[in-house]
Amino acid sequence: MKEIKEMRAVTLMCDQLMEKVGCEFVALAMQNEVGPDVRWHYASGNLNDKYKRISVRFGKGIAGKIISSGSPMMMTDFPKGVIGKVTDHPIMLAEKLVSTYAVPLFFNAIPKGVLLIGNRKTTTFSEEDQQRVRETGQALEQILKAQIL
Amino acid sequence: MDVLNSKQQISSYIINSQEEEIKRIALELHEGVGQNLYSILTGLQFIEASEKEPEMKNYVREMSQLIEKTIQEIRLLSVELHPPTLTTLGLLPAMKSYIKLYTSTFGILVDLESSGKEKWISEKNRITVFRVCQEALANIAKYADTSNAKINFIWSESELIISIDDFGKGFQPDETDFNHPSSGLAAMKERMLLTGGQCHISSKIGEGTSIVLSLPLVSRE
Ligand SMILES: Nc1ncnc2c1ncn2[C@@H]1O[C@H](COP(=O)(O)OP(=O)(O)OP(=O)(O)O)[C@@H](O)[C@H]1O
Ligand SMILES: [Mg+2]
Repeated sequence: MKEIKEMRAVTLMCDQLMEKVGCEFVALAMQNEVGPDVRWHYASGNLNDKYKRISVRFGKGIAGKIISSGSPMMMTDFPKGVIGKVTDHPIMLAEKLVSTYAVPLFFNAIPKGVLLIGNRKTTTFSEEDQQRVRETGQALEQILKAQIL
Repeated sequence: MDVLNSKQQISSYIINSQEEEIKRIALELHEGVGQNLYSILTGLQFIEASEKEPEMKNYVREMSQLIEKTIQEIRLLSVELHPPTLTTLGLLPAMKSYIKLYTSTFGILVDLESSGKEKWISEKNRITVFRVCQEALANIAKYADTSNAKINFIWSESELIISIDDFGKGFQPDETDFNHPSSGLAAMKERMLLTGGQCHISSKIGEGTSIVLSLPLVSRE
């Protein structure tokens, strides 16, 4: 499989989403071809390289929960009101995010990826912005489908 | 241990029984639940290999992947709760395996060095030092805003000195109330005192935080 960060169509789509929504951060996590490991393959607006070393834990944090549940998630004022431990949210800590909205990417009806947008201030992402993320997620599924399995 | 007052003895007793319980859960997850899931995985892989119908084969493959993820998560959870190596191989190997997990969880690189000859430490003290390091590392992930940290173990005849340094944003220690009952930093100090050792916390805005632990070493009776 070609590296995701080298797939122009994918990175362009993420960057365009960030621009359209006007948010500070966008990232794409995907399950590896072999084994259950989920990693952040691409990010834009990042403050550092930590995301490259993070391995998303199944069922933990926003990305881990999305992969295990298959439903979108929003946080508006992290760490206020967080369920469980603050340290269960590594990408929020690593990138100093305060708000985020993220959706699952499905392959063969199974969630194997996460598209996430975020801000470093409190935000309630509008229905319109959420729709944009979902649409980009679906478009990414189409591009990436050919690369998976 | 007779230098502890009765209040400290009670804290010590409560902490020890909780640690025993955590250890039991970690072991049960690792050896019990983990092993059973592993047997199920082997069974599913066997079914997948012998299944001819493609849709069913795919379905079984997805199921085994889910089990695989669950096994991995259980293994990580048990390392976090109480690394099996802490009991069998000792403090340093347990720290090494925890740091690996820490880096892959938070993306923060930790440089671990040890000098001098590693000595025997009682299991109670091993756990204490491990917990204190865990808390220091958790604080770094939460507040330090840095990609690097450094842990040094220095072994001598009579004591083990551990320093945990980050080069992050630091804080004003005197403005932080160490005596606040729910403070992680206060708990670190208290737990080190219960071992007969000490814990020094220093920090400077813009330069980072340094935590130095000392643990007296006694020869194994
Ligand atoms: N490595 C660090 N870098 C920067 N600031 C720190 C660091 N460690 C601690 N602090 C500061 O010290 C304060 C107290 O830390 P402490 O561990 O006692 O509490 P906490 O982590 O907020 O909560 P708890 O540990 O009880 O879950 C923190 O709120 C933070 O502001
Ligand atoms: Mg703390």
